[in-house]
Amino acid sequence: MNVITRGIKNSLRSPMRSSAIILMLAISIGLILSMLVARSSVESKINDVKANTGTNITINPAGVQGFAGGGNPLTSDQVASISSAAHIVSTTATLSDQMGTTDTNLTPSLTLGSFGARQQRFEGTSSGTTGSTSTDVSVSTSNRPTPTPRISVTGTTNPNSVATNGGNLTIQSGTAFNGTSSDLVALVGSSLATKNNLTTGSTFTAYGKTVTVVGIYSTGNTFQDSGVIMPLAAVQSLTNQSGDASSVIAKVDSSDNVDSTITNLKSTLGSDKVDITSEAQQAAASVSSLSAISGLALAGVIGATIAGAVIVLLAMVMVVRERRREIGVIKAIGGTNQKVVSQFVAEALTLTIVGAIIGLGLGVVVSGPMTSSLVSSQTSSTTTTGIPEVGGAAPAFRRGLNQLNSNLTKVQSSLTPQVFVIAIGMTLLIAIIGSAVPAWFIARIRPAEVLRSE
Amino acid sequence: MLSVKNLTKSFQSPSGTVKALDGISLDVDTGQFVSIIGKSGSGKSTLLSMLGALDIPTSGKIEVDDQDIAKLSSSKQTAYRAHKIGFVFQQYNLIPNLTALENVMLALEFGGIKSSARRQRASQLLNDVGIDAAEQARRPSRLSGGQQQRVSIARALANNPSIILADEPTGNLDSETGQKIFDLLHNLSRIKNTTIIAVTHDLDIAGKTDRTFRLKDGKLSTI
Repeated sequence: MNVITRGIKNSLRSPMRSSAIILMLAISIGLILSMLVARSSVESKINDVKANTGTNITINPAGVQGFAGGGNPLTSDQVASISSAAHIVSTTATLSDQMGTTDTNLTPSLTLGSFGARQQRFEGTSSGTTGSTSTDVSVSTSNRPTPTPRISVTGTTNPNSVATNGGNLTIQSGTAFNGTSSDLVALVGSSLATKNNLTTGSTFTAYGKTVTVVGIYSTGNTFQDSGVIMPLAAVQSLTNQSGDASSVIAKVDSSDNVDSTITNLKSTLGSDKVDITSEAQQAAASVSSLSAISGLALAGVIGATIAGAVIVLLAMVMVVRERRREIGVIKAIGGTNQKVVSQFVAEALTLTIVGAIIGLGLGVVVSGPMTSSLVSSQTSSTTTTGIPEVGGAAPAFRRGLNQLNSNLTKVQSSLTPQVFVIAIGMTLLIAIIGSAVPAWFIARIRPAEVLRSE
Repeated sequence: MLSVKNLTKSFQSPSGTVKALDGISLDVDTGQFVSIIGKSGSGKSTLLSMLGALDIPTSGKIEVDDQDIAKLSSSKQTAYRAHKIGFVFQQYNLIPNLTALENVMLALEFGGIKSSARRQRASQLLNDVGIDAAEQARRPSRLSGGQQQRVSIARALANNPSIILADEPTGNLDSETGQKIFDLLHNLSRIKNTTIIAVTHDLDIAGKTDRTFRLKDGKLSTI
């Protein structure tokens, strides 16, 4: 029998006390694991948010907003330098135009209304105000052409950029076109298609050329659904604006890099040449709440580790005090400090390892619901896809099983070997701290004490 | 051969320095059975702890086989206790969750005996002191006082020590059992030529040893 065996045997000397210590340790180790899993889930969620939220920056020519304002469009050189800038993952260039009644045979699906009419009130006045400036407002008003609704045309390298929900464009029929082509093809908004009885394969005239409809799209946005989307190069050639773009949407690799990318682009392109907008603030806001949860989980890991270490420490201090005489005897008959300490470390390790096995099992079961409650958005996305079931015991049981299964899957995705190694490292830390102080006590026990008869 | 020269041990107490041992000198030949009698607090346990290298004297020399054990480093003191000394305590001090056999094997482990040889040697030692195989497998709580003291003697003998230090070895036993334990120790000193120094209250026992000393107020006198 060696020190290790004696240590293991000693851990079973008081089954009730050992069970209580193991249970307390299991709870704190379970908590460590679930907090580590929660933290890892939240961290991956943060990276997800950083990669997908607020990473789009919009570069417009300085002074231009939609069809309002003034200035020159972005040149092909500017578009190329945006695409090649650091941290830019992808770019979508668009060139917007409006087709009037003389440009197309299509009938607009939008009614002009008083808003549309007001927008056009300055147009056509240049001919009436040549020479000296006229102060007669009524004269200039009478010179205006009759306002007519127009059809917006978006030339883009990526048809999805028109989608208003930030996701993909809903193609009702047909297919999307290749954004890099210069074919005279178009996706037509559902309202406009209905108004003009267009279907996939139909043709219409635009800027004096025949354009083929390859698909009908819908966004749920009345303005967008009344327009036409065409490849960027097609619109550029049709409107004689070769290489120009009215707007570029660039995707940055992480929301952390948005600010630096904006600064970089402004210095490359000239801050007086472009206006750049982003949603970095919005991303920062959503990340900050997740960061708070991540911090909370880290505090939980540290707290549970300290609690575990204190449990082992107090238990071992108690055991050492109780076996003071026995330690003295071992030293008196020739046992070295090292042997006695090793025996107690083996005892502490036995308790910790048994506690860890139970605790890690407990942690795997508990971390799913705990992570879900910390990051509630994760569960909402899974519940929406679920098929509604009829009430009753069996479906409820099945739902419970599905939930547990989903928890386990979720945990497994976060329970990486790295997390597991950290949890085991924390457990060892508990055992080491929990044994170090008792070891110091052991070294201080003088063997001469055994000769004191009580 | 054990030789103690001018040994003193002082303790600091709130009322000043207390001399537990005051200039003790003593020579014991190998194989002698020596008893020391004295009242409580006379310094008996202090003297034993000095002889057993459990404590360091304030001044003086303790030579065992021409080696001054008062000057040994802490690790050498431990080795000295493991190889040269055997302790027998009044309260037996066996490890409660180990069997009689395992208690003796523990001392053999500290004495550096190979693990394969320990079991047989421990069993032999226990047989020699009258503990049979069934009793060897028992834990101390299932042995009588006399049996426990026999196990304790077997443990003390495990590494063939030069000296056995016995602190009131019969103090917790009835007179008949006490007599048997005394006889056992006495025989050992004869057969194995082991020096035995026993501290005792029992004047009957003290009278039967080779030499008897009285310890009073830290000073040793021959009877």
